[in-house]
Amino acid sequence: MSVTRRSVLRQLAAASDATRQETTTIEALAAMLDADERAVESHLYGLQACDLARARPDGTARVTITGEELLELDTDKLVIVDAATPNAES
Amino acid sequence: MTGNEPDEPTAESRAVQYDPESSRYDLYECPDCDNIVLALGRDEPPMSCHDNPMERVTDMEMSVQPPDVKQVLLQAFGLPKAGLDICLCVIGEGPLSANEVAESLGYDRSTITRYLSKLVELGLLERSELNREAGGVVNVYHSVDLERMRRETLIGFYVWAGEAAALIEDANLTKQDYLEGNPDQDLPDIFWESFPDR
Repeated sequence: MSVTRRSVLRQLAAASDATRQETTTIEALAAMLDADERAVESHLYGLQACDLARARPDGTARVTITGEELLELDTDKLVIVDAATPNAES
Repeated sequence: MTGNEPDEPTAESRAVQYDPESSRYDLYECPDCDNIVLALGRDEPPMSCHDNPMERVTDMEMSVQPPDVKQVLLQAFGLPKAGLDICLCVIGEGPLSANEVAESLGYDRSTITRYLSKLVELGLLERSELNREAGGVVNVYHSVDLERMRRETLIGFYVWAGEAAALIEDANLTKQDYLEGNPDQDLPDIFWESFPDR
């Protein structure tokens, strides 16, 4: 079953916590999303590139504060994260 | 030998005529003056003119080439091609990083950042600053409210179309004045010369 990056982020936020640094596993995420582990892992790396998630080599992952704030924006539309130039416009 | 490829649409085959039976849009005109209006999504005449309802245009014989929507959007909104590419690339996707968008489109990363700012200036994207765990902020670009975007793009396009229509009307009047003053002369380039260079 295909899974979107956005749904992975939502599930990750539900299963982990940025402030308490609680993690979940890719395996658990894939099971909760009824998705292929490799697809979930691929999306996690994409989310990490956006500063929205932290994925570790041991197969655990958690949402970041940035990821939680993005979900609070409650936008299901086009989203681009320009993480490498955080202060470019300020 | 010249000619079109078998599957390539010709100018004639691409031409469209105004179809008053189509519900896509309607043209209305005032029976007493030159007023012509375009209406979208209305079953009834949208307004009156000279105290009478405007009448639906039904006898437009002239065929026109359908617009290249991409070119129209680029021209109407001053939207850079890279900006349109960015919008088309990430609709329905994401969140995507600026690097991913750059790689996907074959643009430099700096180009993506520049055009993201341009899209914000044009009102097609909003920018939010989110806190970063390591400190500082991250810029996030997201779509404006769809209803707001619909209204703004439609009005923006009508402004552009209105400006074009006004220029055409001015040029027609200029041509008419010229012919009245020069009845024995062929129509020169006065029509085109009457368009201001921009």
